[in-house]
Amino acid sequence: MKGKSDNSKGVHKTRSLVLTGLLFALALVLTVVENAFPALPLPVPGVKFGLSNIAVMYALFFLKKSQAFSIAVLKGLFVAATRGVIAGILSISGGILSLTVMIIIMIAFNKKASYVIESISGAVAHNLGQFIAISFIYTGMYLVAYLPVLLISGVVAGIVTATLLRFIIPAFDRLGQ
Amino acid sequence: MKFFKKTDIIAIAAIIAAAAAIWLIYSQAASGRPVKAEIYYYSQLVETVELAAGREKVFSVPQDDDVVLRIDANGSIQFIESDCPDKVCIKTGRIHLAGQSAACLPNGIVVKIVPADGWNGDEPDIIIGSGGKQTGSAQ
Repeated sequence: MKGKSDNSKGVHKTRSLVLTGLLFALALVLTVVENAFPALPLPVPGVKFGLSNIAVMYALFFLKKSQAFSIAVLKGLFVAATRGVIAGILSISGGILSLTVMIIIMIAFNKKASYVIESISGAVAHNLGQFIAISFIYTGMYLVAYLPVLLISGVVAGIVTATLLRFIIPAFDRLGQ
Repeated sequence: MKFFKKTDIIAIAAIIAAAAAIWLIYSQAASGRPVKAEIYYYSQLVETVELAAGREKVFSVPQDDDVVLRIDANGSIQFIESDCPDKVCIKTGRIHLAGQSAACLPNGIVVKIVPADGWNGDEPDIIIGSGGKQTGSAQ
């Protein structure tokens, strides 16, 4: 009996490792897909839907927080390797702040906040994280002038990614079985 | 977890209202204030130009003449040419309010609009990064 339960624990561990790897791969594909579209005609650098956040959110909502963080950090390293250190720093700072805010909201609302609200908070935090990183790299920027753009684009991006996540959840669930 | 709750509409409306309010207050406070433009090359201030109405000018910074800026007769400034891939700098369009900025990150060029007499500390203290030291923590 004991041997069997150890074995199933090992299987569980392997499964979660593979699942994290698959989600990471999916995050990369979504990033590539997103970059293939022309940039949104917005006056602030780096504002986009953040489709790869779909994979991170699935990990956060249905797997473990640590897996979500691994995916966000790995994705940042991939961006740094392919598109330069600065792009990588922006990706990681946006990703970490976004995840942190989503976790805070998850805990504060006792997991009763909706996907849409989680996703919007995550997107706004992602925008803010990137903006703060840009400000530190390229001299100070005046946040008030850009806060409205960051908030509105966060709302739009959040609704888009939450909607996509909703349709993708069944496919993810089949992966996990 | 639910996908969407009715109360979410209130939260979303609040965010949008906050964004609109911030923009209104900011543009009210900033409009009409005499400004100048500071041009940074990789965080180094390389040029300061007056943005007075009626004076047109097309120029580049000496460090990178692939990036061209233009000051319009109405006292605004914009990127008009750049060799960067995304052209975010050009899409930013004209800027003229103190606090606005336009950036060509691939070329490391940032244009910031600042009050002609400098930040005097009355503004909300939310200038992030090294530029914030001018007004923020020093006072």
